[in-house]
Amino acid sequence: MTVAPPSDAPEAGLPVWRLSWRLNRQELRLFWFTTAAWTLFFSAPVLIGLVLAEAFGALEDGRFGRAQLAAVILIVVEIARMGLLQVAALSFHRWWISVQSSLRINMLSDQLAARAVDRGRPVESPSGALAQFRDDTEDVARFIDAWIDVLGGLCFTVGAVIVLASVDPLATGVLVVPMVLIAVVTWVSGNAVARARRADRAATSAVTRSVGELVGAALSIKLNQAERPALHHLGEVMDVRRRTAVRDRVLDQIMWSTGSAMTDLGLGLVLLVAVTRVSDGELGLGELALFATYLTWLGFLPRMIGMTIVRRRYAAVSFERMSRLVADEDSDRTVTDRALSLHATPLRPTEQVPERTPLAHLAVRGLTVRLGGETVVDDVDLDLPRGTITVVDGMVGSGKTSLLRGILGLTWPGDTDGVVLWNGEPLEDRTAFLVPPNAAYLPQVPNLVSDSVAANVALGDHGHGDLRAAMELAQLTDELAAMSDGWGTRIGPRGLRLSGGQRQRVAAARAFVHRPELVVLDDLSSAVDTRTELALWDAMVGAGMTVLAVATRPVAHARADQVIQLSGGRVLSAVAPQRPRGR
Amino acid sequence: MGVSAPESTDAHWRALADVLRPHRRQYVALAVALGASSALLLVGPLLVGRTVDRAAEGASVAELTALAGALVGIGVAAQVASVIVTWWATRIAWSTTNELRIELAGHVLGLDHEFHRTHTPGELVQRIDGDVTALSDLLARVVPKVGGAVLTTMGMVVVLTVIDLRIGAAMLLYVAVAVWVTGRRRNRAVDESADEMSAYARLYGGIEERLTAAEDLRSNGGTAYALGGFVDESVDCVSTALDRERSYLSVWRALHLAIASGGILAVVGGAWLLENGAIALGTVFVLFQYTQLLRRPLEDVMDQLQLIQKASGGMRRVLDLRAERPTILDEGTTSPPSGALEVEFDDVDFDYGDGLPVLHDVSLRLGAGRSLGLVGRTGSGKTTMARLVLRLLETSSGEVRVGGVGIGDVPLAELRSRVAMVPQEVQLVAGSVRDNVTLFELTVPDETVAAVLRRVGLDRLVAGGLDRELGAAGAGLSAGESQLLALARVWLREPDLVVLDEATARVDPATEARLAHAVDDLLRGRTAVVIAHRLSTLERVDDIAVVDAGRVVEHGERTVLEADPTSRYGSLLRAGRQAQEKVLA
Repeated sequence: MTVAPPSDAPEAGLPVWRLSWRLNRQELRLFWFTTAAWTLFFSAPVLIGLVLAEAFGALEDGRFGRAQLAAVILIVVEIARMGLLQVAALSFHRWWISVQSSLRINMLSDQLAARAVDRGRPVESPSGALAQFRDDTEDVARFIDAWIDVLGGLCFTVGAVIVLASVDPLATGVLVVPMVLIAVVTWVSGNAVARARRADRAATSAVTRSVGELVGAALSIKLNQAERPALHHLGEVMDVRRRTAVRDRVLDQIMWSTGSAMTDLGLGLVLLVAVTRVSDGELGLGELALFATYLTWLGFLPRMIGMTIVRRRYAAVSFERMSRLVADEDSDRTVTDRALSLHATPLRPTEQVPERTPLAHLAVRGLTVRLGGETVVDDVDLDLPRGTITVVDGMVGSGKTSLLRGILGLTWPGDTDGVVLWNGEPLEDRTAFLVPPNAAYLPQVPNLVSDSVAANVALGDHGHGDLRAAMELAQLTDELAAMSDGWGTRIGPRGLRLSGGQRQRVAAARAFVHRPELVVLDDLSSAVDTRTELALWDAMVGAGMTVLAVATRPVAHARADQVIQLSGGRVLSAVAPQRPRGR
Repeated sequence: MGVSAPESTDAHWRALADVLRPHRRQYVALAVALGASSALLLVGPLLVGRTVDRAAEGASVAELTALAGALVGIGVAAQVASVIVTWWATRIAWSTTNELRIELAGHVLGLDHEFHRTHTPGELVQRIDGDVTALSDLLARVVPKVGGAVLTTMGMVVVLTVIDLRIGAAMLLYVAVAVWVTGRRRNRAVDESADEMSAYARLYGGIEERLTAAEDLRSNGGTAYALGGFVDESVDCVSTALDRERSYLSVWRALHLAIASGGILAVVGGAWLLENGAIALGTVFVLFQYTQLLRRPLEDVMDQLQLIQKASGGMRRVLDLRAERPTILDEGTTSPPSGALEVEFDDVDFDYGDGLPVLHDVSLRLGAGRSLGLVGRTGSGKTTMARLVLRLLETSSGEVRVGGVGIGDVPLAELRSRVAMVPQEVQLVAGSVRDNVTLFELTVPDETVAAVLRRVGLDRLVAGGLDRELGAAGAGLSAGESQLLALARVWLREPDLVVLDEATARVDPATEARLAHAVDDLLRGRTAVVIAHRLSTLERVDDIAVVDAGRVVEHGERTVLEADPTSRYGSLLRAGRQAQEKVLA
């Protein structure tokens, strides 16, 4: 175990060894197989050194034939090492990607989880978060990778020290000096190294975020001819990263160079100790060759121990950054074992679907939502009987969307107060319960994924009948028939190959496909024309749905059983249901 | 993988040379620093050899100690030099590649709208930043190491030649063979590397997309579906990585064999020379030490091989990205008359190249200074018409003219500065409120930014401070506010034609009514095309065109169409009113 110098860094105190071990345990077989192959590969130089010593000893004595035999043995050993490496490298890569994927799926799962206890705080910028998925996972894998190197180096070192000690115990003892020095240097500089890495990661996130959002806004930039200033801005963000990157890489090189310099120091010390014996004729050229060969390899273990200490600091920074994406920022959740087994039969993730609980009456009491310290929904009460349509109206910034998200439990729990009662029973975990088949949600600006229309609607397996009915309800049938591949038409990133109104209705179909007890719609009509909107509302009324919708246009109001007017997050007026449409 | 023509296999190396050329002085300086640090590395074994020989000759302990001390000193100096080299190399590597990143970002921004409809931002992040980082690593880490290895090797050959001509010649031959063998395979894993990198680009693109859609997926039971997609993409990464690793190993084997045979040759050759009495025992040891010394840089090169292949793969992908060309070319030279622009669609057809027409025979004329409302069902082609006017898309046949000039003949910069469009997609960027209004243009005074924000009713944002970062806690904008912010941008400009594509769709009618005055001001004296589903938005336009399934089925003055009991526009209006009356009843 390493004890780091005291530090007030955010990652201080993270059990990096334990977390990494728990992660590694998921792919333990691959780990040990790789380690065994590597260790054999690394330890072979003990044999190589012995053979070389024999060869030089033979040369010194003039036994040239024996030297040539040694050369043949060397060839055989080297070929065997090549075979070992082939095996080790391939299993290493399986291991390498598997452990990183495990970290990635844990972050992604918590970002997508429905249950409140499993939910990580949403990322500020998806493209900025790519640094966590790309660079931080790699830093943790590198830390564990260093263990493999240390284990391999250890085996070689033990063997080499035994051989050397039998030749010259004093010269061997001297070798401890560079090893200790390397450990001390890396230990002392650990904080500076971690600080540089942290700054570099933050700067990298800023770069990925800026690039992602600039290309995401390509259309607006083009239309406003803002290419030059936008690229200038990107250049500034990149320049910050250049500086952090240089600092980070140079510190890394200093750590590495320290190891190499110490190796040379070791060679010098050995020479000092041994040389007098050489002049006395006690130590032959063979023995010296042995020291020289082993020395190039003996530097490996202390250097790797040094790198392990450095990489532990990197891994600590990474675990801290990745923890921000998982529930409760609990670092243990980044290493949950989901039995992914990418290299054998990959797992098909499943999720817990709540049991359908038929809705008779939904009540909201005292709902309050704060956003950035500002109260955007203030003590709202609502009642939704089954089969009714409730419309929420209000001006921009009046809290309409926050009200819907607050009811569904999508706002951050710490910023949300109040209860939602389903048939009179208070819901403990709204995000877990208010998902299909109990509820479905159409956000104001729906986000689709690069896949087919059918996949975006079904989000999993669904019968053709369900799909057809949902598309029919969402008034998509005619347009789909006109598309080249019908349902199978691929819609491009974020659905950009569709028109704005089509995206909205694909998302509506997605909400309808499970025939949910409650449908929550945020401004369904913002991208559809009046006729389509009329048809949509008629279809929903016809299907007897219970609907809670933000809608500002008269078409929707005409079909509502009650209209809630919001202003400044409060209910200004509620037009009571005039003609309940019981079923 | 595919067999490419010999002249194209090295295209990525030549392109890399082009990237480096402007910095050649800095790279020359780097080479000098490298030479110094390599020379230091060479002195070490000479000292060891000398120590051995002097010890055998019975030199004094003090002399031997001095020699060993010199060895340590030189070792330390060599490492100090290598840190300096790294610092210098990293610095120039990152400034060089940052230029490349900016160039690529500019290139991507200049590509057609179509390109952006088929590539996720996450994937583009990986291509602009991730792939190029492989190049930064190449320049910062590989170039010094490989350069050092080359210089050290050359130095070794020189030193050995001085010691014994035959040994020098043998070493030269050995190095030449090793270089030839690895050089022949330098392009070996490039295709596999590029495949692996595209698998990763898809992986990160998918992650970014799922994070963006997190709320949609979560609240519609799509978590398992999304994670399933991630698993599939990860499996692709494993298989492409293993393919790449296999090709890499074939190169590695060649290099490893070269290193191992070097040591063996030293022993065998040394034995032979010693047997013939050509060299001293100490020289054999120096020879052996050198092959051992060669081991370190060569192993460094081996460590870096993967980076080299990654960088070649990255450069290949950079070239692919560069090869993407905008289909909309800026070849126009004619300026339309100044002032409000007349707009004309002359028998325009449009499809996305898939044989499914989006617009048919659209002919329409809008007089200078008049405003036109486009109405029609979703997907009927309204947005396509708007994009044709900005030349974001090119007509399949027929022509769009502004001020009587075909838009292909108008320089793009002039077209886009005289025609302003507020698109239906609201696009905000990482940055402050101010950055989002000005899109990073620094010359706009703060007062102007505040004034345009107040125009669209976003006084709240002005009060919060223009330098407040958007997206950070405290600056959460609703969808309506985001749209108003995007709309505000148009007031910074002085266009002759304004196209509003659902510019206020996410805003409630009451807020929209308050905006009406500002919009009237904007449209006064300008030609305007307004697309709106909400007919109240169109209450003050002069003309109306109804679009249905890609055809203009009705076109005329708004007041005339309103009064005509048989017009489509009139019936749409009445349908809306009836709905409203039902509420009031």
